[in-house]
Amino acid sequence: MASILGDLPSFDPHNFSQHRPSDPSNPSKMVPTTYRPTHNRTLPPPDQVITTEVKNILIRSFYQRAEEKLRPKRPATDHLAAEHVNKHFRAASSSSSTQGL
Amino acid sequence: MFTSGNVTARVFERQIRTPPPGASVNRARHFYENLVPSYTLYDVESPDHCFRKFTEDGLFLISFSRNHQELIVYRPSWLTYSTTSDDDSTPLPRRASKFDSFFTQLYSVNLASSNELICKDFFLYHKTRRFGLFATSTAQIHDSSPTNDAVPGVPSIDKITFILLRLDDGVVLDERVFLHDFVNLAHNMGVFLYDDLLAILSLRYQRIHLLQIRDSGHLVDARAIGYFCREDDELFLNSSSQAMVSHDKSKQQSLSGNKEDDDVAENGLHHTQPQPNATNSFLSGIKQRLLSFIFREIWNEESDNVLRVQSLKKKFYFHFQDYVDLIIWKVQFLDRQHLLIKFGSVDGGVTRSADHHPAFFAVYNMETTDIVAFYQNSAEDLYQLFEQFSDHFTVSSSTPFMNFVTSHSNSVHALEQLKYMKNKSNSFSQFVKKMLLSLPFSCQSQSPSPYFDQSLFRFDEKLISAADRHRQSSDNPIKFISRRQPQTLKFKIKPGPECGTADGRSKKICSFLFHPHLPLAISIQQTLFMPPSVVNIHFRR
Repeated sequence: MASILGDLPSFDPHNFSQHRPSDPSNPSKMVPTTYRPTHNRTLPPPDQVITTEVKNILIRSFYQRAEEKLRPKRPATDHLAAEHVNKHFRAASSSSSTQGL
Repeated sequence: MFTSGNVTARVFERQIRTPPPGASVNRARHFYENLVPSYTLYDVESPDHCFRKFTEDGLFLISFSRNHQELIVYRPSWLTYSTTSDDDSTPLPRRASKFDSFFTQLYSVNLASSNELICKDFFLYHKTRRFGLFATSTAQIHDSSPTNDAVPGVPSIDKITFILLRLDDGVVLDERVFLHDFVNLAHNMGVFLYDDLLAILSLRYQRIHLLQIRDSGHLVDARAIGYFCREDDELFLNSSSQAMVSHDKSKQQSLSGNKEDDDVAENGLHHTQPQPNATNSFLSGIKQRLLSFIFREIWNEESDNVLRVQSLKKKFYFHFQDYVDLIIWKVQFLDRQHLLIKFGSVDGGVTRSADHHPAFFAVYNMETTDIVAFYQNSAEDLYQLFEQFSDHFTVSSSTPFMNFVTSHSNSVHALEQLKYMKNKSNSFSQFVKKMLLSLPFSCQSQSPSPYFDQSLFRFDEKLISAADRHRQSSDNPIKFISRRQPQTLKFKIKPGPECGTADGRSKKICSFLFHPHLPLAISIQQTLFMPPSVVNIHFRR
């Protein structure tokens, strides 16, 4: 495509399909190069919506500390593995709702 | 951010370089290093009013008459005069040194009737619609007759009126009257304005009244938190009490002792009168929330049932009556749903010392009526949050970028000062108590002027600062030294008459009013108890 952006690849081949190049006399039918990833570890979940967190950081820290205190303490032996799984899930969910400032 | 200190070079540089992202306001503020109020007009003949404050957007100067019954509003303007000579040292024309050339009177409104006085320390500004909130009150009665609801020991004022005024033209829009009540009006302590939500704390009846300022200028009652937490609690209790009128009285007595379960307490039997009175053994709604939160916190600390009961006995039941006797002292909004409430004992209500009277902080969610967090005033956790996120405690609007007042969370220099004080103090818990005394913050109590920005200027905090309180005045001028290299003196503010006063013995206090964005400041020096005050105007010539 004879666009200023050049031949940059894109995720979805149908992106930029509405773009009209500046020179209407020779319309180009080229679809931009589609990027094919080699792994799917960094794919976002399909229903991801990025919004700004409503609670500001101070109130978030109050709730976090309250949750830590109210969660009853468990003996440290059997539940370590379960906690690691919990941690992984929490990291994934926090990346899917990215907080803006 | 600028490579040179010269104002012309900076203007050229501003044309070609964009500031770092998010720092455009900070860069614009650097120009205030070049434009400083270095010229002083001493002892300007000004009308004999108590000047209170410049509004946050710099459009109005609020002042009250000496008899505390009238409000006079001025518009700050700038000197305009022409001079034929290029020489900077020619004296200003005589008309320039009059008060009128800087401030034009817009109007004067009578707010208080005969026996009422305007509280001259109270003023809240609603920026978007340019409304001002003022308060008038009658005299304070200290030994008031105790009524059923009232907390003993708190004085009572016959009538407090909050007046909402449109500052553009001085039209009174709405009023709200509180009778036989007590609201701490000094320095906006009992009232907090967040966007359009107003929280008025009635100390006597222990109720937080939430009002909304509508665009049309009406004050609308939204909620009253205290005895009832939700709006329909009163309706619910009244309807259930009518149904239970014929019930056995002994059954009422046995259920009233159960205070730990929220649901039972709310659905429980009420005495036949719908109004809460002294014989009612139920605690107020917010107190019940607080006690159940403390109970659950202590319950969850241990996992073993025996240890739980022991720990409850020690920490909760032993202090139960103390917890029940706590009263709300001060309230602040953290965001539209959360309140930071300070609880304390009745004795320590209006003192500032933290040592003898324990105080507690609670974060209360108004929508779910839950207490989210509860700390004692020596809690290190709360201090850590205060140190890191102090801006979020003071920001009173939902657009946080508007607040550039220096605090120790956004300025390296203020943080250094804080750490220095921390290391200097002997006991960390005393230091924490002292720092947390400033929580909850009073609304609109700091000046947004860039001359108080710690990253631009260094000045003596004891003599002058962004908080608008009176200070002891000294005869020496207050120096503002720039933080950048070379650290030269940028300007001086000298309160009082030009050659100092002959009478060095009388104590003088002075207050400073800085315009938010113009290089203009007023300093007012007065001796205690004597009206004549010296007004100086400092501006950039």
